[in-house]
Order: sequence, then C-alpha cells, then structure tokens
Amino acid sequence: MPTLETSEVAVLEDSMAAGSQLPDFTSEAYKDAYSRINAIVIEGEQEAHDNYIALGTLIPEQKDELARLARMELKHMKGFTSCGRNLGVEADLPFAKKFFAPLHGNFQAALQEGKVVTCLLIQALLIEAFAISAYHIYIPVADPFARKITEGVVKDEYTHLNYGQEWLKANFEASKDELMEANKANLPLIRSMLEQVAADAAVLQMEKEDLIEDFLIAYQEALSEIGFSSRDIARMAAAALAV
Amino acid sequence: MFGLIGHSTSFEAARQKASELGFDHIADGDLDVWCSAPPQLVETFDVTSPTGRTITGAYIDSCFVPEMLSRFKTARRKVLNAMELAQKKGIHITALGGFTSIIFENFNLLQHQHVRSTTLEWERFTTGNTHTAWVISRQVEINAPRLGIDLSKARVAVVGATGDIGSAVCRWLSQRTGVAELLLVARQPQPLLDLQNELGGGRILSLDEALPEADVVVWVASMPRMLEIDAASLRQPCLMIDGGYPKNLDARIAGSGVHVLKGGIVEFGSDIGWNMMELAEMEKPQRQMFACFAEAMLLEFESCHTNFSWGRNNITLEKMDFIGEASRRHGFSTLNLSAPVQVAAA
Repeated sequence: MPTLETSEVAVLEDSMAAGSQLPDFTSEAYKDAYSRINAIVIEGEQEAHDNYIALGTLIPEQKDELARLARMELKHMKGFTSCGRNLGVEADLPFAKKFFAPLHGNFQAALQEGKVVTCLLIQALLIEAFAISAYHIYIPVADPFARKITEGVVKDEYTHLNYGQEWLKANFEASKDELMEANKANLPLIRSMLEQVAADAAVLQMEKEDLIEDFLIAYQEALSEIGFSSRDIARMAAAALAV
Repeated sequence: MFGLIGHSTSFEAARQKASELGFDHIADGDLDVWCSAPPQLVETFDVTSPTGRTITGAYIDSCFVPEMLSRFKTARRKVLNAMELAQKKGIHITALGGFTSIIFENFNLLQHQHVRSTTLEWERFTTGNTHTAWVISRQVEINAPRLGIDLSKARVAVVGATGDIGSAVCRWLSQRTGVAELLLVARQPQPLLDLQNELGGGRILSLDEALPEADVVVWVASMPRMLEIDAASLRQPCLMIDGGYPKNLDARIAGSGVHVLKGGIVEFGSDIGWNMMELAEMEKPQRQMFACFAEAMLLEFESCHTNFSWGRNNITLEKMDFIGEASRRHGFSTLNLSAPVQVAAA
C-alpha cells in the first residue's frame, strides 16, 4: 500500500533526525541516573547468581549446571561494575537492594516452600526476560566500553532464559497452574520495577515504551515455548500492560 | 506458510476487537498501553486454490494503530517487531499490509535489519505492490468500458504517478492497455520528468489541472486532508479508482455521476475461515482482501519464496504478468463496480 500524507511524513522525518544522537556520558545528569541503573544491573546479576545456586538445592540432579549458570552471572556482575568505574560513577547499591526487595522476598518464600516452578518463573523467565530486553535497548545508546561488555552478556542471558524454558517445557502439565499463579503474583512487580526505573532509563535514552514491549516479547516467547496457547499468553501478559 | 501483517483501522476499532477477543486489560488501556503492546499472531487458517493446492496462513496484528503515526519510534518498532515475529514463526513469505509497508518505506527501515538478536531476512517479506498495481490496472481496463469510457480515446490521470505502485500502473496503462493519454500527477518535479522520459509520453499536470480533463482517475496517493472535489468540475462519466490507504475517497466527492471504486482489492472464489478482514472493513470479509495480502498467498501457492515486491520502482511488466497470471489461476478476481452500472450522461 503506497501512501502517507505529506504533513505526517514531514513530522516523522524531523523526529528521526532528533533521535539519532548518543547521550553525553560525562554529564552530571547522566552519571546520576547511571548510578542507579548500574546498581540495579549489578544487584540483579548478584541476585541471579544467588538464585541459581539456591535452585541447585531444589533440583539437586542439575546442581552442577546451575552452578555453571551462577558463575556466568558473577562474571556479568564484575563486567558491569567495571562499566560504572569506567564512567567514574559509584553504583547506588542500597537503592538497588530496595528495588529488588519485593521480588527477592517472593523468591525466598517460594524457595522455603520448595516451589521450584515459582522460583524458575521469577529468576529464569521474568528476571532474564527483563534483563535481555533492557540490555538490547541499552546497547545502541551505551558508551563504547559498556556496549562491548553488554553485547557479551546478552548472549549468555539467552542461555539462562533457555534453561528455565526447557525445564518448564519438560514439566509443563504439572507446572501450568503454579506458573499461572506465580505469573499473577510476580508480573505486576516487574511492571512496577519498570515504572520505578523509567525516569532514569529515559536519561540514558532508553524509553519505557520500548522496555515494556521488548520485555513482553521475550516473556511471551518463553511462555509460548513452554507450551502456553496464544490466548493464555495474552491473558497472562495483560497484567504487565495494565498499571 | 504465508503471513499477513496488518493492523486495525483506528484505535477505537482496535479496542473493540480486543474486547471481543476477551483481552479486557488491553481493551481498556489508553494509547500508551497499546504503544507497549507486542505484536500478536492472531489466527492461522487454510486457503485452497482451484488448482487443489492448500496452503496455511497466519495473521499477525502489529498492534499498530494509525493514531501512532506521529510517534516515529513507536511506529518503527511496531513494524520491525511484527516482522521479527513472522520470521521467528518460520513463515516463508509475509505481506506488509496497510500502513506497515508505508512505514517501512518512508522511515527507511532497510537500515534496521537487526532486531534484538534477529537479523531480518528480507527475502521473507513482500510489499505486495506488484499485485496491487496489476489489480488496479485491471480495474481500469474492466470498469472504464462499463461506464461507456473507451480507453483508447480516454485520458487517465494517475495521482501519485511516481510512487512504486503509481509508476507500475503508468507503465501498464501506456504499454499494455494503450490509453489515449496519461496525465501524470505527483509532488516532486524531477521524478515526474524521469517517469515521463521512461514512458516516452504522458503529460505532467497539477492535480487541479488534471482532474477536469480525466475520464479515469487512479489515486495511489492519500489526498491532502482539506481536499474536497466538486463533482461538477469532473467529466461525466468519471471513473475514480481509490488505490490509496486508507480508502477515504468516496467521502470527499460531492455530487453524483462520479463512480468511485475501491482500488487494489481482490475477491477470492470461496470463503476463507478467517476473521481478520472484518478489521479492514471489507464488504465481504470472508472473501475480499487487499491485493498486497493476496500476493503473499500467490507466492506461497507458486512456492515462490522471495521478496517479490521490494524497494521502489522495481515493478516490471513481466513481474505483473507473472503475478496476474497466478492471481487468475488461484481463484482471485478484481473488485469491480456492481453491475448493471447506471451510466450517467453517457
């Protein structure tokens, strides 16, 4: 189909030109926002490490594989720590701990109850999908040093998402109800985390709209691989769209 | 498998559809919610050609709505994400429908081949413009005589003549149909001169100059918003083919004696078990569709898995012959004026 009204095209071309510059990585505003975003990433990788180790206690036969995944997360954490150092930014770790607290609490509670499905949904699906989408959006607007590190990390995160996906796929029928329940309890937390981080992310030129859509794409894809129908997935994901 | 990427005609229509499907959270959401909604593979369906071959198709809603056109990044993301989904689902050939191909072309999305970890394979996509151009050309050939217009003596204005579809229609009408004179209307002078050279004829006119002279007007450009056409200034009879998107021509024309036909629409010979064309407000949604969508079906029927229509001004008469032949063979006909036509002032 061929056409678009002239005036609209003009508007669009203007906004195209405006959107192509990288942020000023040395500005105070950038560094301030980066101190929280960087902390979230560092804390997130640390949590991921701890969570995979903990999962090893629930799935003892895969303890070694989970320990391998955990080691990767620790490597990522070190990489992101150096990204902050490179920009001369001190990560605001207390902020990040608070940021992760509700999700951390839910994971710990599920762990105590031996709910492996809930633990996998929180760590291997939600957190990994969140990380993957955020890293993908960050890469084109990152400083050259962080860009290289993040490109390496994002490849690994797919391995992690895939781990949870495969386990839940193999145990789909037995996990289905618990997944639905865990989705209901935890997806709104992810959404609220996205809201909390939106203003800082915008300073880094990462837009909330992109973050939400890309997160949902990764998450929906995982749910689809596991075995959910499109209808189930749309219903489950709806919780992330509604504020 | 073939795919179709489409979208609702308005935000309101999209919300209503979501509500019917039971997605209340999304249906109740404001435009910002929709801007963050990922593309959805809404339905799959089978289509059987009169040759006996059955193919399977998928409809992907990009969750784009025309209200997002002023949000450049959102529109771009919607199109690229829908394309990525089509590719990830392993669909061989997918048509970009409605605003999708317009956004692709105007925002130069060829520069954005990488979507997250996916490299888009362009050969999996087609704009469907070759089939659209062929269908519009055939609509001129079939319907002008029904109004008593002899094309060998007629002036045919093509508005948007230098676009991908417009230039292909000009080529066909001048070389295959043999219309008496082509009136070439477009915004930019240089491409018009280039087209005139290529065609070896045709008269370059402004819209205001061309309209009163034309027996047939082919619109393949959307009209300026404020444009009103006074039917009294047009020739009688006058055939107008509305080949633009969205199709809004009939509302703009005051008076009678002017016959407006929706351009670039085809009808399949039997019902298709899909719901998607209700979104596009087709008169017979089980059979009628945009010719660009039908092109993906034709390429799948012909096992021609390639980006058949791609880029600008690559549509040759040979390609139009190929797709036109396939269109007939697999049971498509062009949308025509309903017979018998009231011939005004003829």
